[in-house]
Amino acid sequence: MKRTRLQSLILYGVVVLTCAFLLFPVYWLIVTALSTSAELSRLPPSFWPEAPQWGTFAKVFAERPIPLWLLNSTLAALGSVSLSMVVSVLAGYSLSRFSVRGGHSLGLFILTAKMLPATLLVIPLFGIFRQVGLIGSLWSLVIAHATLIIPFTTWMLKGYFDTIPRELEQSAMVDGCSPLSAMVRVILPISTPGLAATALYAFVLSWSDYAYARTFLTNQQGSWTANLGITTMKGEYVTDWNEVSAAAIFIAVPIIVIYLFLERYLVGGLTAGAEK
Amino acid sequence: MPRIPSLDLARPSRQHWLGYILLVPAVLLVALIIVYPLIVSLDLSFQQVKLARLDAPRKAFTLANYERLFSSRDFWMACWVTLKLTVIVTSACLVMGLGTALLVNNRFKGRNLARLAVALPWAVPEVIATVIFAWIFDSSFGLMNWLFIRLGLANGMINWFSDPTAAFWVVAITMIWKGYPFVSIMALAGLQSIPSDFYSAAKVDGANAFQRFRYITLPSLMPVLGVTLVLVVLWVFRDFSIVKVLTDGGPLKATQTLSIMTYNEAFGFFNFGYASAIGIVTLIICVATSLLMLGRETKSMY
Repeated sequence: MKRTRLQSLILYGVVVLTCAFLLFPVYWLIVTALSTSAELSRLPPSFWPEAPQWGTFAKVFAERPIPLWLLNSTLAALGSVSLSMVVSVLAGYSLSRFSVRGGHSLGLFILTAKMLPATLLVIPLFGIFRQVGLIGSLWSLVIAHATLIIPFTTWMLKGYFDTIPRELEQSAMVDGCSPLSAMVRVILPISTPGLAATALYAFVLSWSDYAYARTFLTNQQGSWTANLGITTMKGEYVTDWNEVSAAAIFIAVPIIVIYLFLERYLVGGLTAGAEK
Repeated sequence: MPRIPSLDLARPSRQHWLGYILLVPAVLLVALIIVYPLIVSLDLSFQQVKLARLDAPRKAFTLANYERLFSSRDFWMACWVTLKLTVIVTSACLVMGLGTALLVNNRFKGRNLARLAVALPWAVPEVIATVIFAWIFDSSFGLMNWLFIRLGLANGMINWFSDPTAAFWVVAITMIWKGYPFVSIMALAGLQSIPSDFYSAAKVDGANAFQRFRYITLPSLMPVLGVTLVLVVLWVFRDFSIVKVLTDGGPLKATQTLSIMTYNEAFGFFNFGYASAIGIVTLIICVATSLLMLGRETKSMY
């Protein structure tokens, strides 16, 4: 359909206004990070700092343990994603290809585990981890995050494997592959994009956690993750909003970069199972 | 969808064998880190325990936690807050998500950029979103105070976080901003799977834009929207970080959801048994709600 000039103009206007409105909080975060404390305690507020304070980023990075927080978040995410992916790839493949007795019930159970409130599971996990001495250690997050990730990745991967034609394995087996080597040599290599997208999504899930980190790591400053660390910067009476904002940008950027890579897969991946 | 026959070219016994083997790690891990903790918390909910010490001897079985729960004003208040928050946030997310998806589903130059932009808040970690809104609604130099005074809606500074109604809305707005992009992403996927022939045919038949939306777009989106709705409800229902960091359930418990109540009973007052009971009830409500909402379409969740 062809639009008139006026119609396109209106469409562009609406798109730009909508984006500006929805992204304003992100813009405000950036402006705040670049403002001086004096500018931030002034009304009316300035919508762009007189002299952008890029130094705040360097200052925050040097004075706060942000590199450590980012490292801890990354380690916890790498650990929990690796653990979950190994388990989910195997289970997702089995659920997609074999009709195993009890497999369906297991799948349903894993699906129900998506509904588990973290605030419920955190209580017994706290007790268990205290008994085995994991409180304060990043290993507690690796395990706790796996409880968040596995229900998602198993079903995302099952959905992804469902889209790969079975003829591929069948012809591999005609050529003399065993079912196992058909999976390892044929299906997994061509699934790389789906596996990568799922792993990135799992990384985001782990990186975004706050409840478990707060419960298991609060008393162990050396293990603080980025999300836990930044909430300690938000003081009860005085908060240096420009420094908090600069730190927030450091923490948000890795996830936003992942999002830019992941966006095209998200649409397919998240909905893969939804429309049957 | 027709059932695809299971692999039939090699010996069936071996395939079954492999199918079981592949599930073993998942079964073991899920049993260890999900099922076992769940059993522990169910067990705790029937005991009067202050701190969860698994090596301590079991306390006597009691229903006291549940009795206390159902007669507690705080519990019913938390149910009401959770319900209010869920209904408000979910409906706003649906409207905004569907609206933005329809908008960027139009053909125009720069559409890919616009798609990235409207769903960007999805990529902002919840804690960071909370920091942003805590500053926008700051009681002294927050942008929203300036805006309200400027528009003549307030005479002086509003202390957003000490007024029960205001604090509730700050929490709701933060959650809406964080939650609508998910609906947008899902709805866009649904929109793109509608064949364009449908629209051409409807145009030939003389259907106007509203009719095309009402009779083609909406019905085709329904399966996706149904699942999305359940996922958003579950998210709001169980969310922890936004409320915890913004208000911690206050003021006067006006933002205390079931999740926050569970957490604070456990790690604020160390009533592990009581907290487990609240958590178990929350889980039952979650499962029941999703089953009710999905109805016979439970299968469409996977």
